[in-house]
Amino acid sequence: MTPPHDPAAPATPRVPILELRGISKRFTGVQALDDVSFELHEGEVHMLLGENGAGKSTLMKVLCGAHTADAGEFFHHGKPVVIGGPADAQRLGIAVIFQEFTLVPYLSVAQNIFLGREPRGRLPGLVDHARMRREAQAIMDQLGMTLAPDTVVATLGVAQQQMVEIAKALSQQARIVVLDEPTAALSDNETEKLFAMIETLKRQGVAMVYISHRMAEVFSMGDRITVLRDGKKVGFRMPGQTAPDELVSLMVGGKVDMSYSRTYCTAPGEMALRLQGVSARSGIQDVSLEVRAGEIVGLAGLVGSGRTEVARAIFGADPIAAGRIEIFGRPQTGGPTQARRLGAALIPESRKAQGLALIRSVGENLVLASLPRLFPRGLFSPSKAAAQARELIARLRIATPGPDRRVGVLSGGNQQKVVIGKWLSAEAKLFIFDEPTRGIDVGAKAEIFSLIDGLVKKGAAVLMISSELSEIVNVCDRTYVMREGRVAGELARDAMSEEAILTLGMHHA
Amino acid sequence: MKTPTLSSSAAASAQQNASGLQGLWQALPDPVRSVAFRLLALGLLCLALSFASDAFLTTTNLVNVLRQAALLFLLASGVTLVILTAGLDLSVGANVAMSACLAATLMKATGSITLAVFAGLGCGLLIGIANGLLITLLRLPPFIATYGMLWILHGVTYWFMKGETIHGFPPAFRAIGSGHWLGIPIPVYLMVAFLFIGVVFAQRTRWGQEIYAVGANPEAARLSGVPVKSRLVLVYAVSGAMAGLASLIFLARLNSAEGDIGEALTLPAIAAVLIGGTSLFGGVGSVFGTLVGALILTLVLNGMNLLAISSNWQPVVTGVIVVLAVFLDNLTRKGDRK
Amino acid sequence: MHEMTVRAEPVEGVGKLTARLKHAGSASGALMMLIVLCAVFAFSTENFLDGANLVNVAVQSTILLLLALPMTLIIMTEGLDLSMGAVLTLANVVLATVAVNTGGVSLALLAALGVGLAFGLVNGTLVSRLGIPPFVATLGTLGAAQGLALVVTDGQSVVGIPASVQMFYSGAFLGVPAPIWIAGIAYALFHVVLYHTRFGANVFALGGNREALTLAGVRTRLYLVAVYVIGGLMAGLAALLLTARISSGHPTAALGMEFDAIAAVAVGGTSFEKGKGWLLGTLIGVLAVGVLRNGLNLMGVTSAVQVSAIGLLVILALMIDAFRGKQS
Repeated sequence: MTPPHDPAAPATPRVPILELRGISKRFTGVQALDDVSFELHEGEVHMLLGENGAGKSTLMKVLCGAHTADAGEFFHHGKPVVIGGPADAQRLGIAVIFQEFTLVPYLSVAQNIFLGREPRGRLPGLVDHARMRREAQAIMDQLGMTLAPDTVVATLGVAQQQMVEIAKALSQQARIVVLDEPTAALSDNETEKLFAMIETLKRQGVAMVYISHRMAEVFSMGDRITVLRDGKKVGFRMPGQTAPDELVSLMVGGKVDMSYSRTYCTAPGEMALRLQGVSARSGIQDVSLEVRAGEIVGLAGLVGSGRTEVARAIFGADPIAAGRIEIFGRPQTGGPTQARRLGAALIPESRKAQGLALIRSVGENLVLASLPRLFPRGLFSPSKAAAQARELIARLRIATPGPDRRVGVLSGGNQQKVVIGKWLSAEAKLFIFDEPTRGIDVGAKAEIFSLIDGLVKKGAAVLMISSELSEIVNVCDRTYVMREGRVAGELARDAMSEEAILTLGMHHA
Repeated sequence: MKTPTLSSSAAASAQQNASGLQGLWQALPDPVRSVAFRLLALGLLCLALSFASDAFLTTTNLVNVLRQAALLFLLASGVTLVILTAGLDLSVGANVAMSACLAATLMKATGSITLAVFAGLGCGLLIGIANGLLITLLRLPPFIATYGMLWILHGVTYWFMKGETIHGFPPAFRAIGSGHWLGIPIPVYLMVAFLFIGVVFAQRTRWGQEIYAVGANPEAARLSGVPVKSRLVLVYAVSGAMAGLASLIFLARLNSAEGDIGEALTLPAIAAVLIGGTSLFGGVGSVFGTLVGALILTLVLNGMNLLAISSNWQPVVTGVIVVLAVFLDNLTRKGDRK
Repeated sequence: MHEMTVRAEPVEGVGKLTARLKHAGSASGALMMLIVLCAVFAFSTENFLDGANLVNVAVQSTILLLLALPMTLIIMTEGLDLSMGAVLTLANVVLATVAVNTGGVSLALLAALGVGLAFGLVNGTLVSRLGIPPFVATLGTLGAAQGLALVVTDGQSVVGIPASVQMFYSGAFLGVPAPIWIAGIAYALFHVVLYHTRFGANVFALGGNREALTLAGVRTRLYLVAVYVIGGLMAGLAALLLTARISSGHPTAALGMEFDAIAAVAVGGTSFEKGKGWLLGTLIGVLAVGVLRNGLNLMGVTSAVQVSAIGLLVILALMIDAFRGKQS
């Protein structure tokens, strides 16, 4: 997939361009970074790994000056420096390419590159557009970009916008570039271009911190690897001297049994969900799949392959342009209200933004999807709602003193349980999970899987989207694999393996 | 962007540590605390006014205050529901104007009070539904949609009033606004009735629960199967209908109608809602809070009158209060916004 | 943040063309509406196409343009200034009072600009420092300005405006009416500032991606305040033209004009989100509103009803925008 990388380039003892010693950062109630030390050399791609909440994004923010560290020191070329704000970071040549871009949509590429630093024109206050265009073009040529500098950024695709971000960083004489999962939303073509750009930067001696969840990239592009867990640095390896399993166990902490055992479904029941030739403007094309009662069916694929879009189409969150969706034999043609009535449930990808009303209580969230069922004549009884809430809290073992606690203060795992509980209360029979264990610590993950297993054992049907291949392989009875908006294939239980899923999910050369 | 979640144990232990009265105060749920705080403010205000002016504690004055507050509350109660969904209805004043003028015109033309009442209520309701449709179908931001509606209504009202004034309505009608029963003005009975209806609707029906959820997180509500668009049209319809009701009372009280009556009611209505603790960001607030807010605002304006401060200052003071209320709201809700 | 990567990469160079078309599209929508309005009135009234009438429309639109130009900037930053009409009214009565008492223009204009500056600062501070949503903040200042206008004049008109003020509306230079000079210079200045200065780029960014500005080390709060201050100052300047035009200071002179300004900006294609701005569109929008008012005036329709028509025009413009958005 990518050009081979020479892993035998050792770290020669030279002064690192940037060194962190004992960096700590605390937010209310959480130690986000705990005594992290870290060296970065010129011209290297330093991979930064860690689960969600391990501290990667906090480290990024500290590096670019968006947060100030509580303790610890920074050294630039061996000299102590302070990073108190964005200006300091810029002066040191540090640039961070976030996943949420810092581009202004209705300005041109050149204007975005020089935002806040536009070259002065003849009269005070005026901008020299010609010079800005020339210099922007020069930088883009260096990076091998073929865009016109006057292009309005709003018309660009995600990959190109990312490149504009990188050009912006370069224009600020960045010598240290932090990349946050840069390939997450890119196609293979675009990823190749990005890697070529990274090689160019390496040759120029730019140091890069590269955050990734993709083992393939880590080993093919990384010169050195640092692993974070719970805010601490727990491992430092050279790619040639380690393997994905070791890195994963460092990320997860100790030798964790990655396999979750369950008895797989041998006799699926009635047809719970059926898609035939479904296409939507969200990008999915001609998707057909089936899920039966008693099964956990996986929906795998790379980020951007259309899995969430399928889930949303099924649930009616997005309209479809063609095809047919049937839930328990009944056509689903409407929105979420109809989907709910047909017995479907969606546990969305982002539980805080899409699954819960954070300022409302646990109890209020738990009954939100079952209000018509619990109170058919309209009158709402707080005691009845509280009783239902308490029952669910007990059944799901949600860690909360009571149903009146604001749901926003619960931990990730318990918040996820509230979302699941909401649909249990609605007596759903088809559950669509979108990344059910994202942002949840390992202990709670097992509980969630156990819950999901319990659901299908009682006759429900589950469609599960996950980016963790091991989860799919261990938990699902069978899986579909999506690639670029289409179903690339279906794998039965005995054919399921991480390699098989990856192969189906990726482009063949 | 990830925000760290607070550990529930930390919050729980904080509550355990507080003792006695302070512990009691902290143990109350947020909505109750917010209303209690405002009731206290109301009480202090009454106290201050009774010292500032001898005329304050007289029966005439207090009855007058109640009557004004009742009208304001009736209008503001509908707006409360709208603001609970993180929306805004800037057209209520113009709605009152148009509904009142329509009712007045019909009453003069046909002499039928019943017809006029239905017309006024119906007109208010239809305007509310129109607002709701502009917002849900055309996806206009609420403040733009209702702001535009405001001006459209203004124009239409002037058009059929042709700049004239209509006055002199039958006594039976006037009683709605100026009448008494057992010494208490009729509008106050309406106020109590709709306070009851409003509280029950908001807290004790499933539509009320859905409305709070829509305000707290409309996307999560939608993905939980709540018919968000229908609920939005509902709250704007209610706001419009209450404006229709308020217009009848206003008309009955003034005993005359012209193109611009009621337009100055929008700002005080919104002010009453905000003072009462309902948040512009949605999901937090109560109808009872709006009642307290209406009383507080009416008392402040009453106080200004008693102290012979020119009425030209009233919109200024109302404006300042609105800004203060929003500022406080901002401070309290800063933690909730990501 | 998932984005489907199924669409093909846009061909290089097409981006620029698409952007031009998009802009042309919104402007052409506004232009089309302007032309249609002109045609409608040319047919339904006798005097519309009269040379004198058309000049009249242009001159009368200048005051609105002075308000709509800063309103464009404010709306681009995802804000709104509902107090402009009231501030203009207050500036009008202040200017009139000072002019009558001093007999000249300079102090009066300074006073009006001062009023505008003060309210602009208040609006800007409320929005940027206190984080109050713009429509609430400016709704509050609207009430304040309205009340103050009544307080200053005690409800009466101020008359006896000196000729030195009146000539700013009725006078001409090189055959072109004075207001058109003033509006033209204002437009040119705004154009240069918005499209050729750092300030302008920052205004785009304030609405389009405020975080980007902060990360670039720009003091966004200052710029946000500046945008509202410019609005206030322009209201002060517009007061000069208004006072000259109505030859008086009146406590309800321009109440509600902010609606016309907002309508003009909306019709012109500046959307209410994401930092998209189109100054030429605002100019077209101002003319459209001016033509609509003028035409309805000639048809004997009262001012209040004209406002309803403007409201409907805005809804039409937004519907066309939404429709076109769905097609792309």
